[in-house]
Amino acid sequence: MRAYQDMVFSTASRLTGNDRQAEDIAQEVFLRAYEHFAQLRTSPTAGGWLKTVTTHLTLNYLSRYRRRWRMFSELRHTTDDEDSVGPELAPQPDMLLADLNSEQRQALIDAAVRKLPEHQRVALVLYHFEELTYEEISIKLRASLTKIKTDIRRARAALLPLLQSSGIDAGQSH
Amino acid sequence: MDAKEPDEALEHLVNRTLRELPLRRAPLTLESRVLGALEHRAELSWWRRSFAHWPLVARAAFLVICGALAKLAFLGGATAVAGVHSLHESAALSVSWVRPAAVLVVSAWNLAALLMRAAPPTWLYVGIAICAVLYAFLFGLGAAVYRTLYLQPLNGR
Repeated sequence: MRAYQDMVFSTASRLTGNDRQAEDIAQEVFLRAYEHFAQLRTSPTAGGWLKTVTTHLTLNYLSRYRRRWRMFSELRHTTDDEDSVGPELAPQPDMLLADLNSEQRQALIDAAVRKLPEHQRVALVLYHFEELTYEEISIKLRASLTKIKTDIRRARAALLPLLQSSGIDAGQSH
Repeated sequence: MDAKEPDEALEHLVNRTLRELPLRRAPLTLESRVLGALEHRAELSWWRRSFAHWPLVARAAFLVICGALAKLAFLGGATAVAGVHSLHESAALSVSWVRPAAVLVVSAWNLAALLMRAAPPTWLYVGIAICAVLYAFLFGLGAAVYRTLYLQPLNGR
């Protein structure tokens, strides 16, 4: 469990944008893994199995539970500015992000991803972290291909100022 | 200049940056939570676990009992209706309140059956639509009351 708990938690956390929910999901993933312990113990694909189950459970959680209770539990109005990026994502003029060390910059970018609107964040994470194609994401999220592409493009555009102010640019080579 | 170029450059930039992000560290409480949940599960009796974990015999017995209960419910319903009819028709009814109650039930049943036969289908659809609207209205009202009276005081704390 120790070998995989960070991977499972990261996947759930990046998809939900919420650590508490991610911990709940991670717990459920490991409980399911325990039920298949005999097969997973020696399987070389245990990591892949855990990642797939985590993604599946998280998407299931987001689509079933969050939407079901949104009407009751969320007071903020999501319709008026759903596609815009929150002001906290835009770098402040006095923030010298380039002066931060690599770890701090990564933490900032990670936080920015988790603060994206849900539909943008989920599509972005599935594309860049889970390596799904646009078509696969469209099927998984039951949304049109155009919407998925638009959401991912907007999410990238939202992250761009932060990346630029962190001293990361498209021409940087590794 | 190709309009796709900036998009592709941005895609590569984001891809590279996100893939370089390290895994987030799982909370220290996760392992203890999982172990605690496993212990809790192990302590549960078989009948308190999910259906999939029941012994095969218990699952089969449960399905048979459910089927029998469903059949009993149908039979009981039919017998009750027949009983009400017979009570209504019985002249030897001695308990004072049973007869008016039986008359009321049978009359209501007959009235409902008559309305179903006599009313045009449009009325039925309008009735269903009204019920749906009222249901939605009450659901919305419940949500608004919950938000106003329960969630707002919580958020204000």
